[in-house]
This record gives sequence, structure tokens and C-alpha cells, in this order.
Amino acid sequence: MDVENYQDLMPIILLGIVFFISALGMFYWSSKRGQLRDFDSQAKTIFTDEEPEGVVSDQFPDEKR
Amino acid sequence: MNSKSQTVSSVTDTYSTNEAGVRAELSEIDASIRTASVFFTVSSVLWLLIGSVFAIVAAIKMHHPDFLGGDAWTTFGRMRSAHLNAMALGWGNNVIFAVGLWIMARLCRSPIRHGGLLLIAGLFWNFGLTLGLAGIIFGDMTSVEWLEIPHYATPLLAFSYLLVGVWGIMAFHFRKGAHVYVSQWYILAALFWFPWLYAIAQIMIIWFPARGVVQSVTNWWFAHNVLGLWLTPMALATAYYLIPKVLGRPIYSYYLSVLGFWSLALFYNWAGVHHLIGGPIPVWLISAGIVASVMMVVPVVVVGINHHMSVVGLHRAVWRSPALRFVVFGSISYTLASFVGSAMALRSVNEITHFTHFTVGHAHHGVYAFFTMIMFGGIYYMLPRLLKREWPSATLIRVHFWGSAIGITIMLVALHVAGWLQGVHMKDASIPFLEIVQMTLPWLKARSVSGLFLTVAHIAFAVNIFWMLFAAGSFRARTAPTLLSKNDGEAFAK
Repeated sequence: MDVENYQDLMPIILLGIVFFISALGMFYWSSKRGQLRDFDSQAKTIFTDEEPEGVVSDQFPDEKR
Repeated sequence: MNSKSQTVSSVTDTYSTNEAGVRAELSEIDASIRTASVFFTVSSVLWLLIGSVFAIVAAIKMHHPDFLGGDAWTTFGRMRSAHLNAMALGWGNNVIFAVGLWIMARLCRSPIRHGGLLLIAGLFWNFGLTLGLAGIIFGDMTSVEWLEIPHYATPLLAFSYLLVGVWGIMAFHFRKGAHVYVSQWYILAALFWFPWLYAIAQIMIIWFPARGVVQSVTNWWFAHNVLGLWLTPMALATAYYLIPKVLGRPIYSYYLSVLGFWSLALFYNWAGVHHLIGGPIPVWLISAGIVASVMMVVPVVVVGINHHMSVVGLHRAVWRSPALRFVVFGSISYTLASFVGSAMALRSVNEITHFTHFTVGHAHHGVYAFFTMIMFGGIYYMLPRLLKREWPSATLIRVHFWGSAIGITIMLVALHVAGWLQGVHMKDASIPFLEIVQMTLPWLKARSVSGLFLTVAHIAFAVNIFWMLFAAGSFRARTAPTLLSKNDGEAFAK
């Protein structure tokens, strides 16, 4: 392939651009939806009343004596 | 015993309560995905064992070429490709479907609807993969690395992936609560990325082949992104869920975790071209790939700091948790493997490491020491909660951990050292090629030994899982409601 002829690479270049734009789009969406604010409370969403913050929830079965 | 009363209070008894109201929500979610996740887990472990056998055969052939040399189907090329596909698509994807969907459902606080269809997806996936592996072994494989599965099996894989992907996205769609946790970001993005990568690669290489080196560019764009945009986000999602969850302490900096996700999303998909450094493609394309590879230092440092700071001061709790032992091992490996990977993308380093065992070592650093170890941790945390049973044997968990940790360490040292020496010597035209091959032999034998360690670890893991699944009736009777409570720990003591 002639190195100066980039046309054969166009599909993959375009795909890269689409990929990049879609990532930026998602970033914009997350910012609009407030996902990039109030980080402290977001970090705690994994804890529930059933599996609360402040308790260790896994250990070896034979260390429970 | 003092230690007993002390530790009882520090351990959650979520699963020891009989109050339906307390257990309802997570139990409902866990129950909705139990059958599918257990099926995917069992499949993944079987593929792990099968992949280990292929790996050992291929590894031994590297220093004893006559081993199983009589038949075409046991030649190195087929065994090596069978190993790669069994591990990446058999172990990797099945365990991702099991653990990733479970975490997604839990974080979305949304039960999986029509979980039976996921089971169908699982059947199709494993059937398609079995067909594909048989195709590879009996001579139908394609010549494209990471896409060796013959074309008659790939539609089955695509169909079943579609079901799994749609189910993950549906769980996200029906989520409760406004916040999207960072693990959800990783899983959601990966569920989109993987079909994109797989479809584009199939179309541009297998179905409507692009001309010339464009195939190679597509090939390495795909292969590297399977690691970076499929395995990596799923493992990071698991780590970001399990580290704070097990320790009961929120992640050190949620801000950093979001920064890490977005920088991965923006940089990683450019990086794959570094596999073609020195190849006959436009230099600027390779340079862009190198820049992106080095930029990956940003998400890696961010994730590394975040995970480290999240466990700091709680190392004892990490060590006492089967899940976190594996996850933290994997997280540390992520940092190390990524730094090495960024360095390998530099032209001056790549001149030495390209076409050597160094690259093979690096691949195992990422896929085993990082991804696989974290997924082991995910299974150790998930299965007791899905099955409401405890792991039958703590000893087997320890055998698994040490076998994997020692085995992969031996492999990494052996392949990195062998590869570097190999690369340096190959740049010296005065050294005959055969001498270089012979020089690597002791290291390759060490790699075979490491394979034995890993296989023992995998067998221990499988035995524990099947014991838990099929022979744990007596365990359940004695211990089921007290999974994480120390009070009934004596039941395991004998």
C-alpha cells in the first residue's frame, strides 16, 4: 500500500472518530444528569440498610471462631 | 474467647437475620439472577480447567517440541489458540456475565426480569464456543489472532452476547435511584464496547475483509481493546464494588474514580496500534497509538491511588477476606501491568520486547494477575450470597490463592526476563538465532512449572465450587442462615 494514500484507512479512522464522539456524548449526558456533582454521597450508594457502611462483610469460613 | 466477641461485633450479620423485611431487597435481586449467574460461573470454571490443559500442552511444547507431536490437532498453533479462546471467551466472558450482571443488578436495585432467557444465552454461548474450539482444534481456525474461531460459530456467539448485553442494559434502564455508581459506568460502557469491537472486527476482517494492512490495524485495535474495553472495565467495576463493600468504607475518592473511568474511555481505544510499531502502516497512526498508550498512565495512577487509599489501614481485614485477597492482588497487578504496558509502547522499548516472550508475559500480567484474580474474588463474594451457603473449605481457598499467586509470579518473572534477554540478543546480529532459542529454554521450563501451580489452584477452586453446589447439604443445614456470623463458625472447625 502506498503510505501516502490514507483512503484505505478511512473506515477505521472514521470509527475512531465516532467512538470518540460517542464517549464525549456520554460524558455530556452524565454531566447534565448531575453525575459529576456531590461525589461523597455517590460513593455511599453501594451501602444499603441490609449491607450497611461500617461493617466488614467477608472473611474466611474457618476464621469465624 | 476475647477475640471471638470482638470480631463478632465487627462482622455484618446481614445474612444471619431471619427478618424477611431486612433481607428482602438484595435477596430478591440475588434470587432473580441466581440460576443464570450460577450457570455462567460453572461454565467459566469448566472453561478455566479446559484452558489450563491447553495451556500446559502448549507451554511444554515450547521446550519439548516432540511432546504430543504426532497429530495435527495437538500442534502448538492449535493448542495455543485453543488456550487463548477457551480462556478469553470461555472463562473471561462467562465470569463477566456471572459477576458483572450480578453487580449491575445489585447496584441498579433492580431484579433481572425473565432470567430464564439469560440461561438460553448461556447455553448458546457455551455451545457456540465449544463448536468454535472444535473448529480451531480440527483445523478450521482463521489466521487472525484473537479472532481464531471459525465463521460458522461466531453468529451463535453474537446472538447470545446480544441477549446478555440487552439484559444488562435493561437492568440499567430499570434502575432505582438517581446516582450511577462508578461500577455501573464501567459495566454499562463495556456492554456497549464489546459488541462494537466484535462486530467491527468480524465485518472488517472475516465477512467483508478490508484490504492489506487495514486488516492488521483492525485486528490489533480489536485485540487490544478486548483487554482494555472489555476485561479491564469489568474487573475494575468488580474491584470498585467489592473493595468498599467488603471493608464497609466508601471508596477513598469518588471523584478520582470518575476521572479514571472517563480517561480510560477516552484514551484506551487508541492504544492498540502500538502492536504494529515498526510495521508498514502510517507512522502518525502508530504515534497516535503510542501517545494514547502513555496517556493511560492517567487512569492507571488514578485507580491505583484510589484503591490503595481505600484499603490503607485495613490490611488485616483485606487479608481475612477471601474476596479481597484476590481483588487487591489484582488491583496491584493492574497498576504494575499498565505501567509496563505503557513503557512497552515506546518505540525504544518496543524494539526489544516486540516478537519476544516479554509480550506473552505482559498479556498474562494483564489477563491473569489483574483480570482473573479480581474475578476470582468476585466469585468468592458472590456465590455464598446467591446460594446462601458458606464455602465448604477455607483450606481450598488458600490453596487456590497461593497456587495462583505463586504460579503467576513465577510465570511473569520467567517470561519477562526471557523476553528481555531474547530481545536484546536478537538485536545483536553476531549471535546465532539458535543460541538465543536455547538461552530461553530454562525460562520456558519455569513457565511450564508455573502452569502446574496455576492448574492446581484452578482444581482447588473447582472442587470448592462443586462441593458447595452439590454436596453442601449438610453445610446448609448447619450454617445457612449464619453465613457471615462468627457465632456458628464452629460448624466449620472440624
